[in-house]
Amino acid sequence: MTTGFHFPSCIALALATFVSSVALGSPAIWTNDLSPINHADWNRDRAAHLLERTGFGATPEEINEFAKLSPSQAVRRLVRYQRIANPQPAFEHSGAFDAGLEPFATSRPAATELARDTGESLGVRVKPEGNRRIQQVADRYLYWLRASKLESQRIGYWWANRMLTTRRPLEEKMTLFWHGHFATGDEKVRDYRKMLKQNEMFRAKATGNFRDLLIGVAKDPAMLAYLDAAVNVKGAPNENFAREIMELFTMGVGNYTEEDIREAARAFTGWNYRGLDFVVNPAQHDADVKTVLGHTGKFDGVQVIDIILAQPVTAEFVATKLYRFFVRDEVTPELRMKLGKLLRDSRYEIAPFLETIFNSRDFYSDEAVATHIKSPVELVVSTYRKMGLKEVPGIPDFNELTDSMGQKLMFPPNVAGWASGKSWITPGLLLVRGNFIYDTVFPQIDFVANDRVPGSQYQIISVAEQLSMGKDVTTATKPDGKELSSMSMQADRDEDFNTRLASYHAWRKAIEKVKPIPRTTAQLDVTGMVRAAGCKTAQDAVDHLLVRFLITPVSSELRKKIGELLAADLGTTDLKAADSYMEDALRNALHVILSLPDYQLG
Amino acid sequence: MSDHHTNLTRRQLLSALAGAGLSAGLPWLPAQAAQNDASRRILVVMELSGANDGLNTLVPYADDAYYRLRPKIGIKANKLRKIDDHFGFSPGMSGFEQLFKDGRMAVMHGCGYAQPSFSHFTSMAYWHTGVPNGGEPYGWLGRVADAIDPKLTPNFLVNIDERQSLAVRAAQHVPVVFDDPDRFTRKGLLQSRALLDNGMQGNAANPAQNFLHSVADSARQASGLVRAAWDNYKTPVDYGIIPLDLTKVAAMIKADLPTRLYYVGYRHNAFDTHVQQSEQHQRLLTYVSDAVTGFMKDLERIGRADDVTLLVFSEFGRRASENTSLGTDHGTANHMYVIGKPVKGGHYGDVPSLTDLDEGGNLKFTTDFRRVYATLIEGWLQHADSKTLLSGDFKTFPVFG
Repeated sequence: MTTGFHFPSCIALALATFVSSVALGSPAIWTNDLSPINHADWNRDRAAHLLERTGFGATPEEINEFAKLSPSQAVRRLVRYQRIANPQPAFEHSGAFDAGLEPFATSRPAATELARDTGESLGVRVKPEGNRRIQQVADRYLYWLRASKLESQRIGYWWANRMLTTRRPLEEKMTLFWHGHFATGDEKVRDYRKMLKQNEMFRAKATGNFRDLLIGVAKDPAMLAYLDAAVNVKGAPNENFAREIMELFTMGVGNYTEEDIREAARAFTGWNYRGLDFVVNPAQHDADVKTVLGHTGKFDGVQVIDIILAQPVTAEFVATKLYRFFVRDEVTPELRMKLGKLLRDSRYEIAPFLETIFNSRDFYSDEAVATHIKSPVELVVSTYRKMGLKEVPGIPDFNELTDSMGQKLMFPPNVAGWASGKSWITPGLLLVRGNFIYDTVFPQIDFVANDRVPGSQYQIISVAEQLSMGKDVTTATKPDGKELSSMSMQADRDEDFNTRLASYHAWRKAIEKVKPIPRTTAQLDVTGMVRAAGCKTAQDAVDHLLVRFLITPVSSELRKKIGELLAADLGTTDLKAADSYMEDALRNALHVILSLPDYQLG
Repeated sequence: MSDHHTNLTRRQLLSALAGAGLSAGLPWLPAQAAQNDASRRILVVMELSGANDGLNTLVPYADDAYYRLRPKIGIKANKLRKIDDHFGFSPGMSGFEQLFKDGRMAVMHGCGYAQPSFSHFTSMAYWHTGVPNGGEPYGWLGRVADAIDPKLTPNFLVNIDERQSLAVRAAQHVPVVFDDPDRFTRKGLLQSRALLDNGMQGNAANPAQNFLHSVADSARQASGLVRAAWDNYKTPVDYGIIPLDLTKVAAMIKADLPTRLYYVGYRHNAFDTHVQQSEQHQRLLTYVSDAVTGFMKDLERIGRADDVTLLVFSEFGRRASENTSLGTDHGTANHMYVIGKPVKGGHYGDVPSLTDLDEGGNLKFTTDFRRVYATLIEGWLQHADSKTLLSGDFKTFPVFG
């Protein structure tokens, strides 16, 4: 089998994989076995599987490189990545924030009412006289919501580019895992700076100690904002954070009581943030005795975290969730116990736990290999990686794409994060996933950037146009002539400001402040790809693309049909004859290949 | 497909006859029409995720205890849309007020279950499966589909959302799940259509592949129909600011798709109002009320009001007393609403006491929510055996005929 590694011979590569695919099956006894595989069991397919799961896919060159190592060397290189130099640009702030915005109002009414009561809000003074005296307060409130959202979307791009170009793929993969595990969204946090800070913490602690990370999360401004820490005070505890830390972050439902939640909430009272800093307000902290999970004392938050970590179920819960993310969905109770013990024995150190898993026979068993349904972010980034792109395209829009498939970075759907596995796939989403490929290989020429051009929901464009034609504000902001629902009728009930006008102003100012996302299309070169692989015929090219992108083999009938499609498009089976014009035909074949349902597997 | 066309023709015939004032007297029609009616009945289920605060939705304004429990966020009686001398809807819910007064809304009181979970996700899973505190892999609507449509009619069960709800997961049916009809189509060049549009994969090597192939089949069957339905649909009816996918349901009903079960939702835990809830909660309710009312008007417009019933529910209510952040924490019993022209409107079930709360300060449930499911299964969908489907004998309410 090792004779197959003479890259870049197109035929040899294709052969190697087809031959080994036939022989891929692993011994049934590997299932649930966490002992390491032998060097003799290592091959190119297993190296490809390892790279697929621990990162965001790999090019044939990278796979060949890892296939030459021993399995434990390969795993070590991926998991102990700290020594690998990985120069990456820091996120470039647009400068949309200024200190006057803090403390940011909890709602638009809160912002405008504060202005009415005190003459000032969000750093803006109320006009002494005239119409719509607090218009600018409403403008500014909506401006920051918009600007923070746009900056969070730029963070999405910045992070996706890291995933694409990193030399430490597991670092980004674990950061993504923690983002889903400790799900926090800018929709509620409303401050991209906090989101960025949290993301950087996830990255810094990605494979470190879980206790360290959990304490970091409990003191993280984005999380504190997301789970209502500001209102968790002595005498009036808010249960939101205490509930989610037990239910979603550590133990899972059924392993604690409502009383445990109420008591734990008291231990976290007074924990809050000021700007980007964690603060404890001693006056709001309940320092009295609490009883949590059978332990009694004058606990603070960290002590409660230690009580939770001492529960055997916590290690099992966290270990199993990691396992599902990296290996497979189905975990037997016995395996769950084993995994929990493994994590506990490593004293909640993540790196050695992952090393054991990635070396294990179970990781390479039939139950694990090619059974993982890629998340939207995995799908998009790994596609770009395998296409050999050097940056994430601006067309199609990365955030919009992944959002339409159900996953948008910095905007998880709720505190439970993203469900995984089969739930990523519906009939609708399968088509969306195929269309992503089409829009990448044949980008839309009428693409509209959603960070610039408003949708229709607030009629922002119409307001802007009518004002420019000299209409008065009331006329310009009047909704269109449909029969009005009760909601539409109350939209402008406040006379001190006009919310439609504010939406327009906010949009304009956000565009002015926030840097645009560069809208380049994918710099794709399929011609170069098949040339470099030494492909001679249309069928060679199809076989190369199948092997390069798919983790499962396809039937020889289908291979041939796609080969015929390409040959018909090219007007020849000879690539040399078609060399000067074959890019579009190759892209079309690539679209067909990556639209196969099987391409969703990783 | 042949059934589909037969239905259409018969319906056109019936409506033509009705227009001429003739249908009632024709001897050959009633039996067939009655049977036909049952097979045309549609159930739409709408979930309000995040736990809607029922006490501030339909306010028991005549009960002083309400205002004692909610001194700050309680809604004053003079602001409510009163439906009788005890209850009034939240101020923005003019549509719900009208639906109730028109006798088209059944309010099911005190719905919940024993040993309630206070976790959104767990409790929602109980409502989705209809099996509280138990493990059940399939959703209640998925099981209903399998039971009432053993032929496995394509496109029988539709879920409009970003992802599939557990409620529609079925052993036999593959639900059609999509979000945006405009995107529910496969792009591809002419020469590739044969490869893209036909099932290309043979027998698969592993279960994940098999799963993907069956979903791909469902996509192929449904996408053209759904898109055509949406493209051909235009309505003068206002559904409010957020139509909550009900316009899409109306489009599919108008196009006479064979779908009998629809599942839609107010997404993303929107009703999780722990803090400063008043304005936000009223806004959410207004959207719901406007969208539902628009949907009912639209059904009248397209002549299908007699065939559709809508259920609105949430995974639990909120605590009876307000919290110190002008919001409410997770609670228990809540209202369910069964809405539509076929519904006998009014109050059903016992109203939970606001003075006799449980030790957590929560309402004690009076109506097992599965009684409402059983009512819909037996009373509306005309499937006699709700007992098997719900693994228990749940007494139905006389909401239908």
